Amino acid sequence: MIENEFNRRDFLKVLGWSGAAVALSGCGNTSIEDGKEIVTPYAELPSYVVPGIGVYFNSTCSQCEAGCGVMGRVREGRVLKLEGNPDSAINRGKLCGLGQAGVQAHYNPDRVRDPLLRKGSAGEALAWDKALGLIGDKLNGVKGEEIAFVTGAVSGHLKALLGNFMENVGSKNHFVYEAVAPAVVRAANKKAYGTEMPQLRLDKAKVIVSFGADFLGAWISPLNFSNQYGLFRKGVHNGGRGVLVQIEPKMTLTGSNADRWIPATPGSEGVLALGLINALGAAGLAVPADAAAAAKDYSADRVSRDTGVSVEQINKLAALLKERSPSLVIAGGAAEGYAHGSQNAAAVALLNQVLGNVGKTVEAANLVPFPQLAPATGNTAALKQLTEGLSAGKFKVVFTLGVNPVHTAPAFAKFKEAYAKVPFKVALTHALDETALESDLVLPLDSTLEDWGTVVSEYQAEEAQIGVVQPLMERLHPNTRGAGEVLLSLLKQRGAEQYKAFEDYYAYLRSGVVQAKGAFGQAGADDDEFWNQTLRSGMLKVAASRSALTASASAAGLALPAPAAADATYPLRLIPYVQPSMRDGRHANLSWLQESPDPLTTIVWDSWVEVHPKTAAKLGIVEGDIVEVSSKSGTVKAQAYLFPGLHPDAISMPLGYGHEGLGRYAKGVGANAFQLLDPVYEQATGELALNETRVKISKTGQRVVMVKEEGPVGGSQAGRKKIAVKVSTNQVDLSKEV
Amino acid sequence: MQHILRLSILLIGLFAGGAAYAADTAASAPAVSTAAPAAPAVKPALTTDDELGPVVEQPIEFPHNRHAGDAAQGGMQINCMYCHTYARRSQVAGIPPVQKCIGCHQSIESVKETPRIKKLFEYWEAKKPIPWKKVHDLPDFVRFNHERHIQRFVFQQNRPYQEACGYCHGDVKNMTVARRQKPISMGWCASCHQKDHPVDDKATKTTHGPNDCWQCHK
Repeated sequence: MIENEFNRRDFLKVLGWSGAAVALSGCGNTSIEDGKEIVTPYAELPSYVVPGIGVYFNSTCSQCEAGCGVMGRVREGRVLKLEGNPDSAINRGKLCGLGQAGVQAHYNPDRVRDPLLRKGSAGEALAWDKALGLIGDKLNGVKGEEIAFVTGAVSGHLKALLGNFMENVGSKNHFVYEAVAPAVVRAANKKAYGTEMPQLRLDKAKVIVSFGADFLGAWISPLNFSNQYGLFRKGVHNGGRGVLVQIEPKMTLTGSNADRWIPATPGSEGVLALGLINALGAAGLAVPADAAAAAKDYSADRVSRDTGVSVEQINKLAALLKERSPSLVIAGGAAEGYAHGSQNAAAVALLNQVLGNVGKTVEAANLVPFPQLAPATGNTAALKQLTEGLSAGKFKVVFTLGVNPVHTAPAFAKFKEAYAKVPFKVALTHALDETALESDLVLPLDSTLEDWGTVVSEYQAEEAQIGVVQPLMERLHPNTRGAGEVLLSLLKQRGAEQYKAFEDYYAYLRSGVVQAKGAFGQAGADDDEFWNQTLRSGMLKVAASRSALTASASAAGLALPAPAAADATYPLRLIPYVQPSMRDGRHANLSWLQESPDPLTTIVWDSWVEVHPKTAAKLGIVEGDIVEVSSKSGTVKAQAYLFPGLHPDAISMPLGYGHEGLGRYAKGVGANAFQLLDPVYEQATGELALNETRVKISKTGQRVVMVKEEGPVGGSQAGRKKIAVKVSTNQVDLSKEV
Repeated sequence: MQHILRLSILLIGLFAGGAAYAADTAASAPAVSTAAPAAPAVKPALTTDDELGPVVEQPIEFPHNRHAGDAAQGGMQINCMYCHTYARRSQVAGIPPVQKCIGCHQSIESVKETPRIKKLFEYWEAKKPIPWKKVHDLPDFVRFNHERHIQRFVFQQNRPYQEACGYCHGDVKNMTVARRQKPISMGWCASCHQKDHPVDDKATKTTHGPNDCWQCHK
């Protein structure tokens, strides 16, 4: 056959000849195509449109829950680019990579375009009225308590409408599930400060000690914190460059920006906090008697033994905190992800209180004065509850919106099996993710750039605001609908009188906002004028009601367990990494996010296992080795990456990869680290303790060249095992003094 | 032997393909012999010579000559930028919205019943845009800015607009449906960009168009 005998050299020869021939014969104007494309003018031109020149419209980002204001550049009716809205107090004109990728979420080729009804293993397109009629029939056939609605964090008018819908169908089963949420910290904050999410003033602090809060990367409101961090480092409000100390077993983006990164033994964060209180007392700081009593057993020696942090460093840190006040101590992911996470967070809160930061750098939360619009925040306890209900066959009709529990639920939870027991599952979704693939009816949603809505974020900046979401362009696919529209249609279908007046969700939203104009200081304004002003600014600024702030952290009930004993079978601890662009994996189908290198490892388009070089040397692992990571609950395979920014007894894997659905850019990329998690729960809150999974790793014998931005191609594979033993000269051993 | 035979078959095939491509895109290019590479076509010189593009059928046969042509030939001598109004303000000249056509034609009773105008009103009443075919269609990797050229030649050098527009678009005022007249190839663009021209109509200082790759290929 021609392919067999035709070798490469001949082929190149032919190519050369033909190239020359084209150059000689055609020349020049081969790329202009007359009369092939259509250029569509406007029928009537809005006065603000100049073809070729962009117009900006304000809206609100919904890529994560932070609720940043965005401006979308629209040209000839197509949205091209998103920027941060400078008027938004949350992000002050900035927009993160996740937010930028909102355009891709909109233009994603794998968006669902029609309602799909399950026919065997495939979906069959059907019309909206049929789909809604079907839901109506199913809802009528079951009792109220047999209906469940599972959502991610939801706020604004959608939440209010959802509440009304659940009331109408007679169900109390609204589960708010977030795979990675600061739920333990919220509970601990409530206890210590009287509010779940106090305002943190990074800019006022002279020292920040963060226990694993990746506030520059993926924690709560990264853009707001990044902005404050800038002020903190420039010394704008705190009289000089602030010092950041990050205590966490796996270096995050924030850790890499810190002046000192301390990989304390995972789980010993509370011990370190109490050790610092003790050291502060010893250094002459006035420590309240109960705190002093609680901390008296935590001598520097003992703390050093338990945490692996040197006595010298503990004392240095205490001296720094004493000298520079106010400071700010933040409990984040590294503190809360343990069975005793609440205790860790309580110890951190106590340290804050001893340092006198409450009221100075920890301020009362800004609340939007509409409790019915306030966000329903999620946790993993909801997942546990839901799975139990599903296993018991309690639910006959389940809706999912903005969650993908089939992907994010740990393997041990057996969520997929439990979910399969539900006779009628409805997924309101943008793409066919794993949960939608298990559903019986898939309802395609508008993207945020096509939809109406309001967003109230959990963490409000100095000025409280309600983000307004408005369409920046016409629907890309005519058969998608907004989630609010779907709920409103269902309510109308069920004969709810009070919704008859609203033609669509837009009318509902507009009337809701305009009715409340008095609260925005516009009582006398004309309705249309007020509404247009609202859309123009893309947000509603409100006079915030401040939550009560208490300094009620107490040492009572503080009981920190002894360091966990080493496990012989599973000697390592898995630290799941909430990667700034991948997070819990909901945006894994956006190729920009897959393509943008992880800030620490620079790896793209795959997941990886971070292994400390020392551990790797012991196990004979070099970069690019495919390793098998096993826990009691599951096994995954991924490429190994030697990373010194890690506690030697831990390994780390990013979450959000390893999809079996969600479209062409997500499916089959990487491995799903959620599958590894062990069933260990936080004792006080019942949250899944993310950092409590014990694992072992072994080589599979395969090796790949890693696709990453940093270092030579193939990394330190060059010398194979020899080079893996030592840390190469251009890398700093970050676990030592920095 | 078989080997060489296969090779030559492939070569001939490639040439035939290349020739067909060249013939398709450049009507004036001489046909290339398919027999051997011994008869190469003559490379056209970089020029602003005319090179007529294909006839493009449009939904409405718009008479440019009637609108923009000289009065002596029965034209209205309307400024190009009366309809293509964005040329001086934006990177695209803009196809006028249907509204614009109607703006005049609703009060021009004399032609109201002609087939073309009837069709125009049909579009207008349905509030539908007219799906014009692109006549001057640059590939997506080329960024051409009308504003820059119009500002320079019409407003700074004070040249007649029909001359300035005509550099690239040809003699549109004598066409009915617009047809490409110039090659609009990169070499052709560059041939102009290499020429010096005065900065404005009074200046003795000269300049020329940018020759950096990224000016057009952004």
